[in-house]
Amino acid sequence: MVIVRKSEGFGRARRRGQDSTLQPSTIVDPATVHVAFEYLTCATFWLLVGTAAGLLDAIKLNWPDVLAVPWLSFGRVRPVHTNTVFWGWSSMGLVGLALYVVARTSRATLWSPTLSRVSLGLWNVAAAAGLVTLSVGVTRGPQEYREWVWPVAVMFAAGLILNGVNAYMTVAARKIPEVYISNWYILGAFCFLTILFTTGYIPFYQHGLGNVVIQGYYMHTAVGMWFTMLSLGISYYAIPQILGRPIYSYALGVLGFWTNILFYTLIGAHHFIFSPVPWWLQTTAILFSVGMMVPVWAGGCNLLLTFRGTSAVLQRSFAAPFLLAGIVAYILVSTQGTLEAFRTANLYWHFTNFTVGHSHLSMYGFVTFVIWGAAYGLLPRLTGSEPNTILVGIHFWLAIVGYIIYVISISIAGSLQGLSWVAGEAFIRSVEAAEPMWLWRTAGGVLMAVSHLVFAVNVWAMRPGRALAPTPAPPAAETVT
Amino acid sequence: MTFHTSHRALVGFAFFTYLALTVLIAIVPAASIQHTPAIPGATPRSAVAEQGRAIYLREGCGFCHTQFVRDLPLDRPYGRATVAQDYANENPPLPGTERTGPDLSNVAARQPSDTWHLLHLYNPRAVVPQSVMPGFPWYFEEKADAAPGDVVVPVPPRLVSAKGRVVVARPEATALVAYLLSLRQPELPR
Repeated sequence: MVIVRKSEGFGRARRRGQDSTLQPSTIVDPATVHVAFEYLTCATFWLLVGTAAGLLDAIKLNWPDVLAVPWLSFGRVRPVHTNTVFWGWSSMGLVGLALYVVARTSRATLWSPTLSRVSLGLWNVAAAAGLVTLSVGVTRGPQEYREWVWPVAVMFAAGLILNGVNAYMTVAARKIPEVYISNWYILGAFCFLTILFTTGYIPFYQHGLGNVVIQGYYMHTAVGMWFTMLSLGISYYAIPQILGRPIYSYALGVLGFWTNILFYTLIGAHHFIFSPVPWWLQTTAILFSVGMMVPVWAGGCNLLLTFRGTSAVLQRSFAAPFLLAGIVAYILVSTQGTLEAFRTANLYWHFTNFTVGHSHLSMYGFVTFVIWGAAYGLLPRLTGSEPNTILVGIHFWLAIVGYIIYVISISIAGSLQGLSWVAGEAFIRSVEAAEPMWLWRTAGGVLMAVSHLVFAVNVWAMRPGRALAPTPAPPAAETVT
Repeated sequence: MTFHTSHRALVGFAFFTYLALTVLIAIVPAASIQHTPAIPGATPRSAVAEQGRAIYLREGCGFCHTQFVRDLPLDRPYGRATVAQDYANENPPLPGTERTGPDLSNVAARQPSDTWHLLHLYNPRAVVPQSVMPGFPWYFEEKADAAPGDVVVPVPPRLVSAKGRVVVARPEATALVAYLLSLRQPELPR
């Protein structure tokens, strides 16, 4: 169900340049708008921090003696980078947008803006505490994305559950009978992360090899059942809104939702192929990795087909290209993931930098681009403040060129490492082979980092400027398609 | 009542489906293999090596060094294939996902010299010029003279700040080396 409000200009791509007629939204509760904006602002802060950490580590691979102090050591900065962009940037950015989507598609106000602010506070404290603890070496060791020690993780989980309750109660108070498909993904995501986060931290089944099984499950489903779910949920709202047309197929969205739950959950063990993890578990993971093609192509093509015949909008909208790029990356990265799971491909690419390229294609090319597209597409309509369109263009091109350079160079680096190992060369040869590619990766990373600074400027420009007055009753002309 | 109109049914079903799958694919398999016993005759780590392992975790060494040898020709240089028993007393085990540096499951057999390891930790490029590993100079101390009992590291003069000064390992460095030298795959019983 897509709600299109013609009177608000939804569905009409605005021309490039400032739109003098743009007003703050008169139909959305100001508190909801403020909450969404506060989440995006904090997210942007963590994006800059996480980017700095990532860039520093990239530089250190070429110049290992740069900034050789304990808290900036490669091994400490790496989890700072991953956790900051996961739990700081991506989670806050996605949830800020999701809370707005939940309220809007339910035709309701956010159940409790206060609760969301409390959650945001908890998440900010967790992200800051995580950064400090990891930097001083207080860590659970290299267990990816669950390096944060207990107290930090509990703070994050508390914020997660409060936000989940808030989203659920908002949908429960909806003014229309249907639960829009976005809310399936968003409410699902809150359930799934709660379960997988708890599973990752409870120790009773994690002695010895048990820990490895949980690690595979945890790091894989964190991406698939939280970031992917939220990104798709937001896409199912933002893309039709920005393009002014309904989603290509509602039913494919539903199919994608259930198959994503079934297949994604079962494939974590494909991170430990050829390991002592039971063979049946590895084979199940490989089989269902192939099954992943169902939700990916159903969901990805569904969103892609929604773009069909909208080249005029794409030329004029500054939000749509981000979303299109995000969806294309989603299809590419998931297909790549399936291929990597095969034992033969795994033999060449496992343990190499190819994995780093894969994770950036997903968390950056897909998730981050969706956040940007949705933020640019939705925020100005809510706050009445638009960013400078030239700056948005600069952001887009720096980010996309930067990350394409990044992903291609690091994937080549990974392939060269794999080939060197298979050829039986001395290990250091694989380091030497990768080194020039690491330099290219850093170059791409610099472009990405600059684009993030531009994004920060643009977020500030989209702040709720004029007082958001509670609304007079909106005029008619509301179509539900 | 359908999922399209009942948020309660939708969220409840999604929650419990995911929980059930989690139990089936992660918790039950993990619980069933977590108590695989250690290889008979494997020597437990010393207290010092255990301290070294804590430093290994703290410094994030496991992000670049695996401890997971696959039964594949390209993994032969690192030792025999890792078996479940190898992780028996590891908390957490450190199989790793990336090999920016070589696997360390059996590094003590490949590189048994404590002097080499100390030098390598102080500055990896002192022993492997092309290495990109970070050095850990903060676990060492430069002194005018070594005191009795000090572990002196034979650092090449070009890497010492002033002529005649000596580099001495702090307890953290010796602990880390003790841990690395404990990484020796026990033989599998026949």
